[in-house]
Amino acid sequence: MTVADTPTPPAPARQTGASLSWRQFKAILRKDIVMELRTKEMVTSMGIYALLTMVIYQVALSQAGTAFDPRDIAAGLLWLAFVFTSMLGLNRSLVHEKDQGCLEALLLSPVDRPIIFFAKAAGNVVFLLIVQALTIPVFAFLFLQRADQYGGDLWMIPLALAGGAIGIAGVGTLLATMSVNTKGKDFVLAVLFVPLMYPLLLAAVSATSAAVLGGDGYVQQFWSSMALVAAYDAIMLVAAFALYEFVIGA
Amino acid sequence: MRQLKVALVMLLIGGVLTTVAFVMAFTTAEMQRFGTVTVDEPLDTAFPLMEVSERGYTYERPWFSQKIFYFHVPVAEASFLVFGVAAFYSIRFLMRRRKEFDTKARLAMETAIVFVTLTMITGILWTRAAWGVWWEWEPRLTTYFIMTLMMIGYFVLRNSIEDEERRATYAAAFGIIAFINAPISFFITRLIPSSHPVVFQSGFATSNLIPFIIAQIGMLMVGYAIYAIRASEVRLEERVDVLKDALEG
Repeated sequence: MTVADTPTPPAPARQTGASLSWRQFKAILRKDIVMELRTKEMVTSMGIYALLTMVIYQVALSQAGTAFDPRDIAAGLLWLAFVFTSMLGLNRSLVHEKDQGCLEALLLSPVDRPIIFFAKAAGNVVFLLIVQALTIPVFAFLFLQRADQYGGDLWMIPLALAGGAIGIAGVGTLLATMSVNTKGKDFVLAVLFVPLMYPLLLAAVSATSAAVLGGDGYVQQFWSSMALVAAYDAIMLVAAFALYEFVIGA
Repeated sequence: MRQLKVALVMLLIGGVLTTVAFVMAFTTAEMQRFGTVTVDEPLDTAFPLMEVSERGYTYERPWFSQKIFYFHVPVAEASFLVFGVAAFYSIRFLMRRRKEFDTKARLAMETAIVFVTLTMITGILWTRAAWGVWWEWEPRLTTYFIMTLMMIGYFVLRNSIEDEERRATYAAAFGIIAFINAPISFFITRLIPSSHPVVFQSGFATSNLIPFIIAQIGMLMVGYAIYAIRASEVRLEERVDVLKDALEG
């Protein structure tokens, strides 16, 4: 819809491939963001879902007693919330495209398939980061009040979250493109997504935990975990990028 | 039909070889002892009580559980290999778009599921005997478990798509991306500290190597037989479908 809004050059001056690709990328990304700004559907649903997860955490931890410090498992709880909300968001971002026939229009337009992948994945990263930014203060407010001091440096937490979000969006975009065309949409996404995410989640929880808890050698733990996150992101982005052309054409 | 005959012969030879390896594992293979273990309370166990002192009750370590090595390891290695075959045919399918490659990838994945299940069962028995627990979230066990879940996911994905070409393409894409976990699971015991043993680094007596190799060859033959028998079944089904269409048309 908003693809038409992008300024078209008056004369079809020959463009270099790179700048054309960049404009196509921006157009698709802008379409997703404009649609989200109009409906506010994804961020609202993901945000409320994250809040509901917090309520369930309260139930789960209600019998733990006062000696138990939620800080010890804060990183795991946070990533659990992000896994569930991201599955919801990934599913929605592709269901819209399919229901409104936008995916077909995208495929008909003379845009390279890898650009569609990177634009969709970038959109999903943006929405994930927004939801994470909204969730963390709420989580800290609800669960980390007694722990008045964070062990590690505060800038480490956003870095770990961003690293995880890139991997989730990369693989997730590929898997969601597949799962919207199946009979049991969200279930299939969960069955494929959770095992593939396992290495990333383990590393991301380890990095976030190091940043939250601090303590001896936490800097070293943080960086070695972040190296794993980066390696996973790189491998999975390359694999998803290579396979996307086949998947979206089928 | 020829493939079916070959498969049946392979099944027979594979079965015999595996049985031979089973007998050899308990007869010719060198018995490996693992020292003793001292506990505070006397145990109700078949393992001999070696010594009672003020430190506690000293038992011989269970050596018997080591015998599962001759089955667990060949089956596990075969599962990685067959999973690799499935990924290979998935890549060929995406390159060539021929239906036969999709069928081969699917059948290889089915065979891999058989081996993975056997690995899990033998492994769980061994951890109960050697570590005293049925399951432990240990790097090798965890990554292998994740691999199993991915294989199950592969079939969940296949079953939820009606369109044949789309099913083949999606399954191939997921098969390839899932296979990335296999090398991780295979090498993880060599990379990070893990309580899962790595036998082939610590040296090996020839009398133990022979039954192991026989079992490995036997298992691979049985694996090929499962794959080929299923393949000839699929071919028969396709012929029946063609004949049905011809009769109705």
